Amino acid sequence: MLEIFFSPKSIAVVGASSKPKTVGNGLVRSLLKGGVFSAATNKPFKGKVFAINPFLKKVLSLKCYPSILDVKSTIDLVVIAVQSKLVPKIMEECIKKRVRGVVIVAAGFSELGVEGKKLEEEVLRLAKKGKIRVLGPNCLGIMRPSSRLNATFGPCMALEGNVAFFSQSGALIDSLIDWSIDKQYGFSALVSLGNQADLEVSDFLEWAAKDKKTKSIALYIEGIKNGQRFLKAAKKVSKKKPIVALKAGRSNMGMQAVSSHTGSLAGNYEVYQAAFRKAGVHAADTWEDLLNAAKTLAWSKRTKKGVVIITNGGGAGVLCADHCESLGIPLVPLKESTVKALDRSKKMHPAYSRRNPLDLVGDALHDRYEVALSTVLKQSDVGGVIVIQTLQTMTEGIENAKAIIAARKRFGKPITVCIMGGKFSHPAVSLLLKEQVPVFDSPSSCARAMRFLVDND
Amino acid sequence: MLLSIEESQKLLSQYGLLFPKTAVYGQHQGVSFPVALKVDSSKIVHKTDRGWVRLNLNSEAELTHTVMQLESNLKGVKHQWVVQEMVKGVEVIIGMKRDPTFGPVIVFGLGGILVEILKDVSMQLIPLSRKEALRMINSIKGKKLLEGFRGSSSINKETLVQALIQASKLAEQEKSIVEFDFNPVIVNQQGAYVVDARVILC
Repeated sequence: MLEIFFSPKSIAVVGASSKPKTVGNGLVRSLLKGGVFSAATNKPFKGKVFAINPFLKKVLSLKCYPSILDVKSTIDLVVIAVQSKLVPKIMEECIKKRVRGVVIVAAGFSELGVEGKKLEEEVLRLAKKGKIRVLGPNCLGIMRPSSRLNATFGPCMALEGNVAFFSQSGALIDSLIDWSIDKQYGFSALVSLGNQADLEVSDFLEWAAKDKKTKSIALYIEGIKNGQRFLKAAKKVSKKKPIVALKAGRSNMGMQAVSSHTGSLAGNYEVYQAAFRKAGVHAADTWEDLLNAAKTLAWSKRTKKGVVIITNGGGAGVLCADHCESLGIPLVPLKESTVKALDRSKKMHPAYSRRNPLDLVGDALHDRYEVALSTVLKQSDVGGVIVIQTLQTMTEGIENAKAIIAARKRFGKPITVCIMGGKFSHPAVSLLLKEQVPVFDSPSSCARAMRFLVDND
Repeated sequence: MLLSIEESQKLLSQYGLLFPKTAVYGQHQGVSFPVALKVDSSKIVHKTDRGWVRLNLNSEAELTHTVMQLESNLKGVKHQWVVQEMVKGVEVIIGMKRDPTFGPVIVFGLGGILVEILKDVSMQLIPLSRKEALRMINSIKGKKLLEGFRGSSSINKETLVQALIQASKLAEQEKSIVEFDFNPVIVNQQGAYVVDARVILC
């Protein structure tokens, strides 16, 4: 049902503009070139694009039509970026043109009080009448890198990947795209939900469950309209694909006067957390947490067992163990047979820790990491490994990364990596990211990511 | 609308929730001392705040004396007196509110003033499974108090699990209840007893 939004063959931009730095111009540019800003990730849309504006003859390289009704061929998706009061008229035209999907980028609806709400209801009424599904209003649009579709006015096309991101804030998506490219963080889809007059987060959850490109789903939520529907949809979808949600609005500013203990204790934020638990949705604490969790869940298997920390720095190992404990990640003791095998390898430093966290000592070269990884991962009650690398002058970043990639392939157990450093560690980080190994720059974020992979419920 | 003590106990007992032995004053021969004395009136919502609850009365004489003393302040207010056996154990709170988005939410935490100061509570949407109820109990920070801390005796967790599940069923089936607070529920080795229940109907 939502395919028309994710892989349309023809798109019209109503409110197309030839003036740079306008929404109507950004939308056309994004479709024609892949993005407003130039970027290596940009891919022009392969289907037909129509610019609609009764006052213009041409927008960028496109001939401009006065109305979608003047376009002869069929139009799958219409993106509306005109003043809100003109939207009902455009919707009437969409009905006549038998358009199936509409993205209303325009703002000035229910977010603006009673008058706006009436306008939104009118638009929704028309949509129902014409059996048109609507995304928005008041949204950034929709992006599907694998369909070469950038129907947004955001900065550029995101990398293709397997996280589906559905957000109630459009501005956050803009910045997310900018941030994600250098991090080699890719998306199966990015959807700005807007006011959710028609299509709501639950519709997109159901779509993502069936989408072959999507491996995990990230949600930024301010409020859910239809709680029971969300619970039902999320419960079903989370059994197939992991969902992580960040709920905004933790402060009690907007809380109503309450008449009892229960009322004052069960604030809005806490009830959302309970709802997430009920529906099998992972709750993220912060924006970083949301992004790291979604990526980690998309890139890794999960485990029901505990983990072992392998490090070349004692301090980093202890810090990470501290985080694991406070996050409830079980640290598995090394078995005697494992320690004996490590001893026998003759690769260990005489002063190596012989327990979890497994400290390989600072002068560890890649062969020590290699032996440690394969020996520890062989232990049957080890569910996964956190690998930490501090930068010593002899440290072999690239070779270590290769050892990690190989071990993950061989044992199929989840590994999260903490490469502590910057300038000199970049090539190793880059290699790990390319192979979709979740890598972080601090023991805390690495442990937090592992928390999402350990299912010790 | 607030249910009276008698009405709430009748409702709660239909759901298998326990409360200490309670009787109307004058018919309280079966209630053993020490007892608590409470006013039961739909006109009085905050009975503790107003001093209409007296605890640890040790004899018939003390009870009668207290009734007479309090009675003089209640002229013209429709009410009755209720006598309740004192129970020893750990105080917890079990509550429910209906969230406009997600429906009934069950709240669990340590009772007394601790709940207000520390906000050490856990919550879950209904219906509660056994596993979820147990997780609610185990996820509060003060759970050590339930497990026998420094010589105090531990509680019977299973009866607390059952009480939470029954509270969930009550919320699920009695749609006219907007909110309830069982505060305190006293839990010991024998059971989880609802000592005071505020049940608010729409």
